[in-house]
Amino acid sequence: MTGIETPLILYAKLILLTMVPFVLASQGTMLGGRTGVFNVAQEGIMLVSASIGFLVSFYSKSLTIGVISAMLVGGLFGLALAYFTTHLKMDQFVIGLALFFIGVGLSTLLPKLMIGVTLTPPLIPTLKDIPIPLLSKIPFIGEIFFNQNILVYGAVLVSVFLWWFLYKTSFGLSLRSTGEYPQAADSLGISVTTMRYLTAIVGGALIGIAGVYLPMVYTGTFTDGMVKGRGWLAIALTFFGGWKPINILIGSLFFAGIEVLSYKVQVSGSGIPYQFLLMLPYLATILVMVFTFKRSTIPGFLGQNYDREKRSL
Amino acid sequence: MTIMAKSKPTILNTLIPYVAAILIALAAVGVFIALMGFDVLKAYYTILFTSFRTPNGFIQTLLKFIPLVLQAYAFTVPLAAGKFNIGGEGQLIVGAIGAAAVGILLPDLPPLLLIPLVLLGGIVAGALWGFIPGWLLYKFNINEILTTVLLNFVSFALINYVATGPWRDPAAGHPTTIPIGRGGYLPLLVDNPPLHAGIIIALLVAVAVYFYTTRSTAGYELVATGANPRAAGVFGINVKYMFVLSIVIAGGIGGLSGAIEVSGVQHRLIEGLQHNFLVLGLIIGLIAKGNNMAVPFVAFFIAVLEVGASAMQRTLMIPVEMVFIVEALVLLFVLLSDVVRRK
Repeated sequence: MTGIETPLILYAKLILLTMVPFVLASQGTMLGGRTGVFNVAQEGIMLVSASIGFLVSFYSKSLTIGVISAMLVGGLFGLALAYFTTHLKMDQFVIGLALFFIGVGLSTLLPKLMIGVTLTPPLIPTLKDIPIPLLSKIPFIGEIFFNQNILVYGAVLVSVFLWWFLYKTSFGLSLRSTGEYPQAADSLGISVTTMRYLTAIVGGALIGIAGVYLPMVYTGTFTDGMVKGRGWLAIALTFFGGWKPINILIGSLFFAGIEVLSYKVQVSGSGIPYQFLLMLPYLATILVMVFTFKRSTIPGFLGQNYDREKRSL
Repeated sequence: MTIMAKSKPTILNTLIPYVAAILIALAAVGVFIALMGFDVLKAYYTILFTSFRTPNGFIQTLLKFIPLVLQAYAFTVPLAAGKFNIGGEGQLIVGAIGAAAVGILLPDLPPLLLIPLVLLGGIVAGALWGFIPGWLLYKFNINEILTTVLLNFVSFALINYVATGPWRDPAAGHPTTIPIGRGGYLPLLVDNPPLHAGIIIALLVAVAVYFYTTRSTAGYELVATGANPRAAGVFGINVKYMFVLSIVIAGGIGGLSGAIEVSGVQHRLIEGLQHNFLVLGLIIGLIAKGNNMAVPFVAFFIAVLEVGASAMQRTLMIPVEMVFIVEALVLLFVLLSDVVRRK
């Protein structure tokens, strides 16, 4: 291999690795939105899932159990969101913010109660790369695409599966119809309530995995506020991807690319004050919204509660 | 927005759900505290009464109240127009930077000039920071929730840059600037324990917001915009302009809270001076259901809990975050009480 190829491969590999929390959190947001449930608690759900997922892995010595517990936590928050908005018809933004607060609070409270303050942070092993037999031996591409941790494969598979499910199955069509025009869906005998619960819970679980990915891949431990706005960025990514699974997957490459760039330029010693590089992901996202927000197609009933007793729109 | 109060209930009717929400939240967390093996009664006694047992406790509470009430208004004023400003934290930080810049660049001015200039520096900087999401909303129709939140993260990097730049205090281990001019310090109302004049400013803002939103034409246009943007537009109110204005005013109030932290508390710019004021401000605004009359009372209650929480952590080793859960649950139960009443 020549000199230029190795850094390029590492760079591409790093982008795919960084893409995962964006993809999962954004697909979770998209799924809920497709039935009209607009989750804005991502940041809180990711934090509390990262915290609990980390603690469970630490005590059970099993990353698998840690990931499952993070999914359960995320699903539980999704269930709460669905219950308060679908059943009790409370304002989606307000409930989302309340769940965000609870997530943030629990995420710092639980490690303090369970582990306390320690001089050296408690560590869990990070997820290992799993090379896919044969495919990982392909020069160039093999190392980038087929020698990653399991959640990188998982994120891509989930995205493709969601595309197939939403666009190629009749159940997916019914599901989408509840977010576009619930009255029509309801009149066809599709249960808007069931669809909303289902997507909010599964969406929450995906956001939960996105959260626990951070301690499991990046740090090996939980630190306060470690999500660093990725939950909010995921909402922007969802709009950027036009609430479509494959577009979100592609869009996440851009978000991950900016994060990797910001990090790489910081360590390269370019002379640019590192604080401005820290701003880059957020500023780039705002800029992207300027260019894509108007053209983004959003589910027709996004963020609104459906009441079948109410007359028309 | 549906969370605005619609009918005119009596004071008693208003208070009952709040008291119930507080009791249920305390009970729920109390079970948790007991299960963790702590003394629940002692914990709650500390949380609720630290503010009222000693003059020091009461003044600590007033000092906490100042940033909290201002952060709450930075949220509720745009909420009256139907817009969610989650950027009070960034507006506070940038306001603090503006205030510190004025105080450091003009160190020799007398208090009569420097105090107003420092405060104004904070207000203007915060209002400009609020103008960015306002303008993006006006021009490109970009959701203000996202832009205001994302700008908070930009402000974290900005304050670090300023506090480690040319104004850095080399003696401090933590990113901190040199102090502002002596003339920029807010005067003390009580010397020991110190209570600075920021409390008067906060109360003036409370009165001003109340009169603006309920007694002025401009404020009526704001509320009308929030109640029904389409109807407001038909009656000739420039709805989009009202959106921008509401976020700019919020930015000014948020900036003022930063300026008060600089000129009243820290006397310099310190990274992290925003604490968790934003989230508490949001909780206050939501518990008050956007009612600007109720905001100061709720803010005082939350300040009592916060001061009690620190005391509880010191004496009983129960983490302060426990009280944060109480606050979040109070919010949830207050919101739920509306559902109960609707049925």
